[in-house]
Amino acid sequence: MSLLNTYINHIIQVFPDLLLGSMVTIEVTSLGVFFGLIIGTISGLGKLSQKKFYRYPSIVYVDFIRGTPLLVQILLFYYGIPGLFSNVTGKPLSFDPIFAGVIVCSINSGAYIAEIVRAGVQSIDKGQMEAARSLGMTERMAMKEIILPQAFRRIIPPLGNEFIALLKDSSLLAVIGVHELLKNGQLYISRTFASFPVYIAVAMMYLIMTIAISRLVAYSERRLGVSDRN
Amino acid sequence: MIEIKDLYKSFGDLQVLKGISVKVKESEVVCVIGPSGSGKSTFLRCINLLEKPTSGDIWIDGEKITDTHVNINKIREEAGMVFQHFNLFPHKTVLENVSLAPIKVRKLSKEEGEKKALELLRKVGLEDKAHVYPAALSGGQKQRVAIARALAMHPKVMLFDEPTSALDPEMVGEVLNVMNNLAKMGMTMIVVTHEMGFAREVSHRVLFMDDGMIVEEGKPHDIFVHPKNDRTIAFLSKVL
Ligand SMILES: Nc1ncnc2c1ncn2[C@@H]1O[C@H](COP(=O)(O)OP(=O)(O)OP(=O)(O)O)[C@@H](O)[C@H]1O
Ligand SMILES: [Mg+2]
Repeated sequence: MSLLNTYINHIIQVFPDLLLGSMVTIEVTSLGVFFGLIIGTISGLGKLSQKKFYRYPSIVYVDFIRGTPLLVQILLFYYGIPGLFSNVTGKPLSFDPIFAGVIVCSINSGAYIAEIVRAGVQSIDKGQMEAARSLGMTERMAMKEIILPQAFRRIIPPLGNEFIALLKDSSLLAVIGVHELLKNGQLYISRTFASFPVYIAVAMMYLIMTIAISRLVAYSERRLGVSDRN
Repeated sequence: MIEIKDLYKSFGDLQVLKGISVKVKESEVVCVIGPSGSGKSTFLRCINLLEKPTSGDIWIDGEKITDTHVNINKIREEAGMVFQHFNLFPHKTVLENVSLAPIKVRKLSKEEGEKKALELLRKVGLEDKAHVYPAALSGGQKQRVAIARALAMHPKVMLFDEPTSALDPEMVGEVLNVMNNLAKMGMTMIVVTHEMGFAREVSHRVLFMDDGMIVEEGKPHDIFVHPKNDRTIAFLSKVL
């Protein structure tokens, strides 16, 4: 009984830190998915392009990111790039951890979102592009007005999944000292050694966030996904 | 108006069009009939360059559209296309479907574009549906919107690819009716169709295609009543 009380006390103590950490987690993840969506749209369309000039860099980017661990990408960016910079220029360089976190998360989710966008665009009936082109629209115009708006509706669920995946993976940013949810829990543990209750609390916080987001996605899917097929 | 000379088209090893030459006069209505897979759609799609001809030349209104330096988008503005499966834009209202290209491509103002779109919708009898989404329309209504959408670009020729074959029988009439009116107004039309009634009554000329070639062509009466080619006779005996 006293053990349970101790645990509960620790959880109450750590809770404000975890709440702050969750804010950072959500902030980094949201920015990551936001920029990732931009990067992913460009490289997803790049992968579909007829032109090698767009297609090859997109393929290399997506394969590199999806074929390497996020943890390695984080370390490469946070330590590797400044190291390279000072080796080349002789000047020091260091990144703000949150800045680095957002950049790496954007680049990382961009590659996954590229595949989502590519699949979304390919899932739109070919007749849509043909109808648009037959009206004299350029390919770019047809993409912007006809294909992408339909594709984006369709990719909301997989985008939601990507958001959830990134939210969980952003815990890796603890290794470069981003004060997100996991890191704040760890800092508390290092002061108190209360690992069990704190890690459970951390896990619960992630769970609450992921469940909330998947509900949100399901809701927006219902709102937008009105059967608007021809 | 339209001249097509020695048109060939292959998909990889598959030769689909094997030397097609046709002239279509202004205000002429030409129906293309023939068995499935004979290349009718491909032929039509070559005319607005949705397919790139393998060889051969096409002129629309004196302009050689098969020249490599022509602006394909400009050509497509001149040839309106109506598809079997309508291909309306599901995320746009009926009015937006019709006014989008004039506004984006022809750079009309929104008011102008929508005013014209409403006029066209009135012509096809769907003014009251202007603000609904395509999902709320019947097949026949969708196809009439698709016709209005193509007309909104003021094309010189209208291409129809089996415009009624995805429709329930009771809706075929309303679409053919719109097409009939269009023909009467002097629109140049090339219509791939299984509607032999339409071909017989509305068209000025019928082309029978088989195996990538125009096997027989002539006035509807001649084709339907006195077909000469064996393949035409065999085809007509199946569909009539
Ligand atoms: N994009 C393509 N790639 C490869 N083959 C194609 C393509 N489009 C058409 N074909 C082939 O070309 C041939 C002619 O097709 P087309 O659609 O022009 O025939 P059709 O006369 O319109 O037939 P239907 O009456 O069934 O519509 C068919 O064998 C078809 O499989
Ligand atoms: Mg066809």
